[in-house]
Amino acid sequence: MSATGFTGIVVVVLFVGLMIAYSIIDKDRKSILIRPIAAYKKIEKEINVSVEDGTQLHISLGRGGITGPESAAGLAGLSLLKQVIEKSSMCDHPPIASTGNPVLSILAQDTIQGSSQAISLADQRKNPSGELTGVTPFSYAVGTLTTIRDDNVSANVHTGWFGNEITWLTTAGERQSSPTIAGTAQLPAQAVIYASASDPLIGEELYASGAYLGAGKMHEASIKAQDVVRWIIIGLILVSVLFNLLGFNTFIEEILAGSI
Amino acid sequence: MNIKIKAPISTAVAIGVGIIVLLGYFIPSMDSIRFILLRTGLVLAAVALLVGIINLATVHIKKIGKESENSGYSLILLISMLVTLVVGIIDMAQTYLVGRPNFQITNWVFTNIQLPIETSLLAVTTISLTYAAAGILRKRMDMFSISFFFVVLLVLLGSFSIPPATIPFLQVVRDWILRVPALGGARGLLLGIALGTITTGIRILMGTDRPYGG
Repeated sequence: MSATGFTGIVVVVLFVGLMIAYSIIDKDRKSILIRPIAAYKKIEKEINVSVEDGTQLHISLGRGGITGPESAAGLAGLSLLKQVIEKSSMCDHPPIASTGNPVLSILAQDTIQGSSQAISLADQRKNPSGELTGVTPFSYAVGTLTTIRDDNVSANVHTGWFGNEITWLTTAGERQSSPTIAGTAQLPAQAVIYASASDPLIGEELYASGAYLGAGKMHEASIKAQDVVRWIIIGLILVSVLFNLLGFNTFIEEILAGSI
Repeated sequence: MNIKIKAPISTAVAIGVGIIVLLGYFIPSMDSIRFILLRTGLVLAAVALLVGIINLATVHIKKIGKESENSGYSLILLISMLVTLVVGIIDMAQTYLVGRPNFQITNWVFTNIQLPIETSLLAVTTISLTYAAAGILRKRMDMFSISFFFVVLLVLLGSFSIPPATIPFLQVVRDWILRVPALGGARGLLLGIALGTITTGIRILMGTDRPYGG
C-alpha cells in the first residue's frame, strides 16, 4: 500500500470514529450548538411560507453526475431535497426539482417517490417532478428558467454542481423577487453565487444541510467531526510553517524521500 | 409498472459497492474490482441519459397540452429534438452504407446552430455576471460585500492596458491580491469542500444518507 493510500484510510477511519463517537456522546442532547447559517434559516422560513401561501419551492440540483469529483455536491443536493420534501409534507404543492444530469434526475425522482411515500403523499398529481431540463450547462440553465419564472414558485434553492451559468438562475430569481439560496462546489461559481444570490452557501456549508434541517444525530456528528479534522489541518499547517522557518523542511523531505 | 427494490436491499448494495470502490483507491489489489464497478456505473449512466431524454420529451409534451405561455418553447424543443434525432439516424445510415464515419449533417448542425447559440449565451453570461457584481452592494451592505466589490474593481482595473490603469502600483496590488489573499482563500474553500465531500461520502457509506429512495 502506498503512503497516499495509507493516509486516505487513516483519514476515513478518523472521520468514521469521530462521527460515531460524537453521535454516542450527543445521543441524549436535544440539539447541539452549531453556528447559524442564514441560508438554511431562510429555507426553513420559505418552507413555512409555501405551506401558508400554497406555493412551491424549486430545488435545482445542478448538472453533476455520480462518477466524478462533482458527485458529492449532487448527493448533498439530493440530501437537501429529501429534507425539504419531508419538512413540506403539509404543503398543497410539494417542491419541484430540476437537474442537468440524467443520473441525478433518476435519483431525484427516486428520492421524491421514496420521501413522498414516507410522508403519505399518495396523490400523484401533487408529487413533485425530478425533471431533466437540459444536458449541457447552458441548455440546463435555459430549461430551468421557465420553472423559476413560474408564478407558483415562491423560492429557489440551487445546490449541487454549477458553473458560471448559475448567474442566469440567480438573476432570474431576483427578477421574480423570489429569495434565492445557492451553493456549489466550483470555486469560480461560488464567487458568482456570493455576488448574485440573496443567501449564498459558501464552501462546506453546501454539505451541511442535514445537520441544519434536522436530518438526525449522525449529520450533526459529521459537522463536529469536520471541525475536529479542520483543527488538525490548521495545526499541521502551522507546524509545517514553523518547520519551514526553522529550516527543518529539507530534513523532513529527505525522510519522506527515504534518503535518511 | 413500478418496480421498486426493497430499501434494505438497495441500501446494502449501495453501501457494499461504495466500500469496494473506496477500498480500491487505497488497496492496489482491489483496483480491478473497482474498475469493473465503475465501468458498470458508466454504462448505467449512459442508459440513464436515454431515460432522461425520454423524461425531457414527456415533460414537454405535457407542457404543450397545458396551453401555458411557455408551451411555444416546449414545441420548439420537441421539434429540435426530433430533427436532431432524424439527422443522427441519416448520418448513421450513411456511415453504414459508405463504410467510414460520415457525420456531415450532424457536424453542420453543431457548427452552425449549436455552437453560435452557446457562444451567444456565453456572451450574455458576461453581461449577467457584470450585472450581478454591480448589484452586490444593493443586496448586502456588509463588510464582506464591500471588500468583495472593491477587490473585483481593483483586479479589473489592474487588468486594463489603458494608461490610468497601467501605473505599476495598481499592477503590484493586483498581483499581490491574486497571489496571497485570493489563493489563500481559494485553498481554504477547497479544504472545506474536501472535508464536506468526505463527510457526505461517509454518511452515504454508513447508510445515514440514502439519496436513492431507500
